[in-house]
Amino acid sequence: MNLITRRKFIGSLGAAATIPAWSESHAASGPIITRAIPKSGEKVPMIGLGTWITFNVGSDEKLRAARAQVMQAFFDGGGTLIDSSPMYGSSEGVVGYGLAHTKRPALFAATKVWTMFKPLGVNQMENSRKLWGVERFDLMQVHNLLDWSTHLATLKEMKAQGRLRYIGVTTSQGWRHGDLASVMRSEPLDFVQFTYNVADREVEDVLLPLAAERGIAVIINRPFQEGALINKMKNFPLPTWASEIDCTNWAQFLLKFIISHPAVTCVIPATRRVDHMQENLGAMRGRLPDARMRLRMLRHAENV
Amino acid sequence: MIRSFPFTGESYFSLFEAYNDTIWPAQIAAYLLGLLVLLLALRPTAAGGRIALAVLALFWLWNGIVYHFGFFLQINFAAVPFGTLFTLQGLLLAGSAMRGGRQLRFVPDPTGWVALAFVLFALFAYPLLAWLAGHGWPRAAMFGVAATPMTIFTFGVLLMLQGRSAVLLGVLPLLWALAAGLAAVVRLGAPEDWSLLLAGIVGFTLLVWKRRQAQA
Repeated sequence: MNLITRRKFIGSLGAAATIPAWSESHAASGPIITRAIPKSGEKVPMIGLGTWITFNVGSDEKLRAARAQVMQAFFDGGGTLIDSSPMYGSSEGVVGYGLAHTKRPALFAATKVWTMFKPLGVNQMENSRKLWGVERFDLMQVHNLLDWSTHLATLKEMKAQGRLRYIGVTTSQGWRHGDLASVMRSEPLDFVQFTYNVADREVEDVLLPLAAERGIAVIINRPFQEGALINKMKNFPLPTWASEIDCTNWAQFLLKFIISHPAVTCVIPATRRVDHMQENLGAMRGRLPDARMRLRMLRHAENV
Repeated sequence: MIRSFPFTGESYFSLFEAYNDTIWPAQIAAYLLGLLVLLLALRPTAAGGRIALAVLALFWLWNGIVYHFGFFLQINFAAVPFGTLFTLQGLLLAGSAMRGGRQLRFVPDPTGWVALAFVLFALFAYPLLAWLAGHGWPRAAMFGVAATPMTIFTFGVLLMLQGRSAVLLGVLPLLWALAAGLAAVVRLGAPEDWSLLLAGIVGFTLLVWKRRQAQA
């Protein structure tokens, strides 16, 4: 195995993203930063939308309408990739409601299969498709590696039949990284998903370099540790040098740290507020940190 | 586990509003049954123990099947094991009601007073505390049809049962009180649920103590 070393990796930072030629200090203007899915070359905007907790609002019409507004802000700001799971309670139905009540130029629909056994998995995926109201999913992932060998076989069949475009496997919060690495080495995955942020950086050692080596796109979940990082940092002023990477708030600071890693394809912060959505989207415009700036960001985050 | 709670307090209380609207007027029926059990404890009859256990069985089965499987499952996959636990507890209580051998009687000793306090708290004080905490009607967890006041009531009734020990009937309610009490207080911002934690720990401890006293 020819793993990329961490030093080489940091040295290549900033080289892989399609970063606009951009020198202004405003994060809110300029082209959207995208990154290519390695297996196809298709470019996706680097800020996506996660739905864990925030979109699980049951059948409450008022809350569903509020989430649809968040989705509209997401589409208006240039976002396309939405990620959900049948594990997230009513979130998939709320996403479907939002899709039916928003105008969008493009959608990259990503969800997961989270059950045991092939028949239950097939049934669950079809149920998810109906909840979203889409013809097919762009990406279907095996959630938390649950019965992954069974489901990956099904996903490969579905992809071959054109019923899916990409397949992947997920984990979060540092669970089963060793197992995920084994699957990444042995299976023809298009995507993986795991947790990465300024505080949880174990994936820099193996999973991110392995994804780059194997040409696997990477979705990053829990960029704010379910809000804990933002809550911690909001008590401190944003450093003045954050303007050098066009950050105007802590959310953009944390997100730009993540998307500036060359192996990362997309990050999926979740929110229930339109203003937070707009802050998040600001991170996919303007300059990205280089290796030196990333180290500075890390040092600063550790001292906050 | 608590970090991975899949919904917010906002969603939880919104669900409760929909639940209360849908099952109305079951809340009134639950109150009437609760008052009947209280009356039977204060004025014991031969069938009081069986009736009290049957009412508890009905409450637990309702909470397992109607609330957990019918509503809570919309926002929490854990409603499946929770609903199963409640249904199992309901069947255990129904079995005990059919078996008989226990009398319901308020005894004015320390355990009896705690038991009476639990029953009165579940019927009257808990909804008031919830209202003060900002979770009033129609978002309130109402007696009998909501798990928290129903569990506190259960410990009160079990402590007032005389005859065979009711410790085994308190095991599943204790597990629920610990898990749900902590989760509600920490993640949902429901300070009134400290009472669930307290009732679970104190209630189960007194059940064990009562059995030891009977064996001594």
